[in-house]
Amino acid sequence: MAITKGTNEAFAAALAGGVIDTAVGVPKSREEMFAFYEFIRRGTHDPESKAGSGGLEFPAGYMFKEAPKWEADDMTDPVDMLCAELDAVGIRHAIVNVDDDSAARAVRLYPDRFSAQINVDPNEGMEAVRRIVRFNDEFELKAVGAFPAGLTPQVPLNDKKFYPIYAKCVELGIPFCSTVGIPGPRIPFGVQDVALIDEICWFFPELTFVMRHGAEPWADLAVKLMLKWPNLYYSTTAFAPKYYPREIIDYANTRGADKIIWSGYFPAGLSYQRIFSELPDVPFRDHVWPKFLRENAERVFNLGI
Amino acid sequence: MTTDAYFEAWRGGVVDTMIGIPATAADRKRDHYDKFASQILDKEAREQFTFPAQYMLKDVPDFDSIEDPVALLVAEMDRFHVQWGLLNVGSNPVARQAVTDHPDRFVGGCSIDPNSGMDGVRHLERAYHEHGARSAQVFPAGLVPQVNIDDKKMYPLYAKCVELDIPVFVNVGVPGPRVPMACQDVARVDEVCWFFPELKLVMRHGGEPWVDLAVKLMLKWPNLYYSTSAFAPKHYPREIIDYANTRGADKIIYAGYYPMGLSLDRIFSEMPDVAFRDHVWPKFLRENAMRVLGIGT
Repeated sequence: MAITKGTNEAFAAALAGGVIDTAVGVPKSREEMFAFYEFIRRGTHDPESKAGSGGLEFPAGYMFKEAPKWEADDMTDPVDMLCAELDAVGIRHAIVNVDDDSAARAVRLYPDRFSAQINVDPNEGMEAVRRIVRFNDEFELKAVGAFPAGLTPQVPLNDKKFYPIYAKCVELGIPFCSTVGIPGPRIPFGVQDVALIDEICWFFPELTFVMRHGAEPWADLAVKLMLKWPNLYYSTTAFAPKYYPREIIDYANTRGADKIIWSGYFPAGLSYQRIFSELPDVPFRDHVWPKFLRENAERVFNLGI
Repeated sequence: MTTDAYFEAWRGGVVDTMIGIPATAADRKRDHYDKFASQILDKEAREQFTFPAQYMLKDVPDFDSIEDPVALLVAEMDRFHVQWGLLNVGSNPVARQAVTDHPDRFVGGCSIDPNSGMDGVRHLERAYHEHGARSAQVFPAGLVPQVNIDDKKMYPLYAKCVELDIPVFVNVGVPGPRVPMACQDVARVDEVCWFFPELKLVMRHGGEPWVDLAVKLMLKWPNLYYSTSAFAPKHYPREIIDYANTRGADKIIYAGYYPMGLSLDRIFSEMPDVAFRDHVWPKFLRENAMRVLGIGT
């Protein structure tokens, strides 16, 4: 896979130093992905989302027109496929979700290459807390993730159901990552309002909270809150570089160089080819690039690599 | 019922799930009541009360000076067959020492302030590991600011109680001190019991005037209990006695209020007149508390 644009020297130097992607999926066939997204489809009401195949195969597919897809016949070993993708663009370390068996296998096979996260459902109460402990014992978790709008029922980020989970993340020193802002799938957004984060950062000052999936249209509030709360961060998951919000780029270039963390959206919505062809055009200042592509992730997620 | 059943159970030993280290009124005021004094607005309570619920509890035990408060407490317990007392070891060094020195007489409870966030969680864990705390306790209306029983700030503490497998004692019902009551509404217990089905929650301080709801919720939630703290036996709510005599014999737990508001003398002089059925007495005075607190296991 060729990187077509490489005009930015500081970018190229940072890339050569090795990149960390803090949210990566192991490739699955179209059929498997379709089945996986049932948890989102069942919460939608519009006919296009509900139709599934023939409608939106991927619930946020109206935004991601060229998401990587593999027919079942094209699949080889998914862990090998992922490693080849990472190698092709210079990603030396990736955080994967070990709720998925292939991802768990990847972490076991290549512990230097992969770190583990799980997603939690606060609707499960103490069982969710115990899952964190159990998985941490087995995999030494580097992140606990949540998709509040994708839960059934949805759970606001500042809801009491989340509090035992935040407390456990503090106890274990594991960063908590959540999708924030308007969700791609056509489900209500209220539970992911960026404003909800303020109270969490107040009550759990030791909690490392990483925003995922853009925070739009509240990127300005996200910046204001990152200025206010030392342990609040932003990662660029699910955004093609040409769509990085202007406020985020400005903040990274000024007071926020240590706060903005690169992440892609492979394979759910974006190919690495697209991401790495657009990245050099992002107008980050020179000193931002190594922090953005590697150093911030290494530090915030305690990757120890 | 017969009084024989009461006396037999009484002489078999009592667990008092709310007892305190004797202290002078001034010390008690400084260590406990002054913490929320800023929230008491009415003139009489502010200016004339040393004990904020003294309009209800007229014969509060009084001490001029106390040489050895633990010896005094143990002697008082001995007089009334109280084998075990639940002491708040949250911050009182004398109570901590008492639990350490008399492991066969005291079990620790740790008062918690959910306003302190993770520090409160860590405080509870330390009390468990270092000071013999085998329960947590919270007085929602006495916190500054007050915290609803079902507030998110409580949830990390409830989660820690589940992890440590210890009960939490919660004041419910209209509080004695003249501060707002809403945070202690018994109705709030329902959601907590739903979300934390393993949490053993023991209601304290009467639950009035929502005692019928307290009974209904105890029927619904297996790990919900009621203790009689701060109530002289002649004022035990009718619904509680009826419930103990029928389906709730395993749910109602004796607690006094010595020395904070009631003397053991008064409690145990009124106790024989409580209309419990024979089989209820040993459960009420001892067995239920031992099971919930894990005493003797």
